[in-house]
Amino acid sequence: MRGTFALIIDAQMKNRTRIYTVSQVNSLIKGILENNLPSRLTITGEISDWKHHTSGHCYFLLKDEDAQLPCVMWKSNFNKVKFEPENGLAVLAKGFIDVYEPQGKYQFYVEKIVPAGVGALQLAFEQMVKKLQEEGIFDDAHKKPLPAYPQRIGILTSESGAAVEDIKDSIWNRWPCVRLFLYPVPVQGEGAAEKIAAALRDVNKRNRELKLDILIVGRGGGSMEDLWAFNEEILARAIFDSKIPVISAVGHEIDTTIADLVADARASTPTKAGVTAVPDIQEVLEQLARLQERAESKVKLLVHNAEQLSDELWIRLTGSVKQVLAKSRIRLYAIDEQIRKIEPHRLLGKKTVDLNNLKNQTNTAIQKIINKCEMQLIAQKNLLEGLNPKSVLQRGYSITTNKKTGLLIRNLKDVQITDYIITELAQENLIESKVTKKQNRNK
Amino acid sequence: MAKNEQKNNTGKLTFEQAIKELTDIVGKIEQGQIPLQDSLKQYERGMALIKHCRGILQKAEQRIEKISEPEGKSQKTTDSH
Repeated sequence: MRGTFALIIDAQMKNRTRIYTVSQVNSLIKGILENNLPSRLTITGEISDWKHHTSGHCYFLLKDEDAQLPCVMWKSNFNKVKFEPENGLAVLAKGFIDVYEPQGKYQFYVEKIVPAGVGALQLAFEQMVKKLQEEGIFDDAHKKPLPAYPQRIGILTSESGAAVEDIKDSIWNRWPCVRLFLYPVPVQGEGAAEKIAAALRDVNKRNRELKLDILIVGRGGGSMEDLWAFNEEILARAIFDSKIPVISAVGHEIDTTIADLVADARASTPTKAGVTAVPDIQEVLEQLARLQERAESKVKLLVHNAEQLSDELWIRLTGSVKQVLAKSRIRLYAIDEQIRKIEPHRLLGKKTVDLNNLKNQTNTAIQKIINKCEMQLIAQKNLLEGLNPKSVLQRGYSITTNKKTGLLIRNLKDVQITDYIITELAQENLIESKVTKKQNRNK
Repeated sequence: MAKNEQKNNTGKLTFEQAIKELTDIVGKIEQGQIPLQDSLKQYERGMALIKHCRGILQKAEQRIEKISEPEGKSQKTTDSH
């Protein structure tokens, strides 16, 4: 380096005094740096004066005890960083040195940054735990209780992974009556957390129709990177917002993810999902049998008591009826005796004779009355017959009428000479004659 | 009417509702605060609930159903309209 610089001075001396523009100088320096530094360097240092600009680019210093180096990290590179860089954090940064000509300063263009000591993911995890903890998202107060006897469980995991089988078996082994619904989602790689979060929100939105009691979110074991989706903030928020209780079942026993911390309940592995999510059918059947036995024994006792009471009442009732009956019987005997003393059959015999006499007397009297009435009736009839004018004809009388006028002839004025007269005799016999002479016998 | 039907019909109860009602009934019967005839009625209801619970427990389709993606669902809805 010193050699190169000497060469430039030498050239200037030879060409007398050459004048450079600022740009030329910066450009020269840029060329010198490019030609003399490795194309990529890894620098260890502590982050200082960290600025995350609204543009998305980051500006900071890397420093040690004696020196500092201005650094730039473009948005596109920073987006790949899992943890949150912060002041005082010891890091390893990889990138290249270049001159920022507008300001005449050289700076370190950082392409990758990892925490020194702990792994980046571990640090990111710790930072996310701290952040969400401060918000209170992990608080027990937010944990929803799981239903005791779920009937419909949704499983959000990969369709092709082993986890779906493990979860399914662990649930149905304990609680075969539950219906399981798989919502297939990717569980690792770019965009997995977003897709699981979207699935959670979708299921919640559609749960009026899906009617899921519990959701299980999980996957089988893997590296921290494989499980990373379950540490991402977007998924943590979706789990927190779920109205349906969420059980996390991620990785192996030793793995703890953000999803585990925010979920309403945690199964240490997919194979433990059943124990967390559902009751043991044998225990429930025993519980039912115990309830049945308790109800039966109590009702049996109640029925036996009632039967005994009714038996006792029956005995008392029949006892008192018997007494009443016995008393009545004695009284009946006494009355019977009294009746016997009166000898009613003898009385009855005498009365019968009296009754027959009375009957005969009555008959005679009635007959007399009838006879008398009959005689009176005949007399009346005879009298009535005597009043009929036609009955007089029987005795030789006759009725004479004027043929012309049809009137009875009572005196000489009722008839004229040459009139015809009709004489009615008994038995409807008629004589017609002509008047030839009218005369009073006394004259 | 509908309310009565729901009340008398054990078939519509979830397992959780049924076992809760059953536990209440057994408690009431055990306390002996209700008349014999009511106890017998409650007992009958309890037995119906136990039968219902056992019925639920015996169901086991053991076939995992798949929830369709929201895109597929919304498409179906659009088709039908």
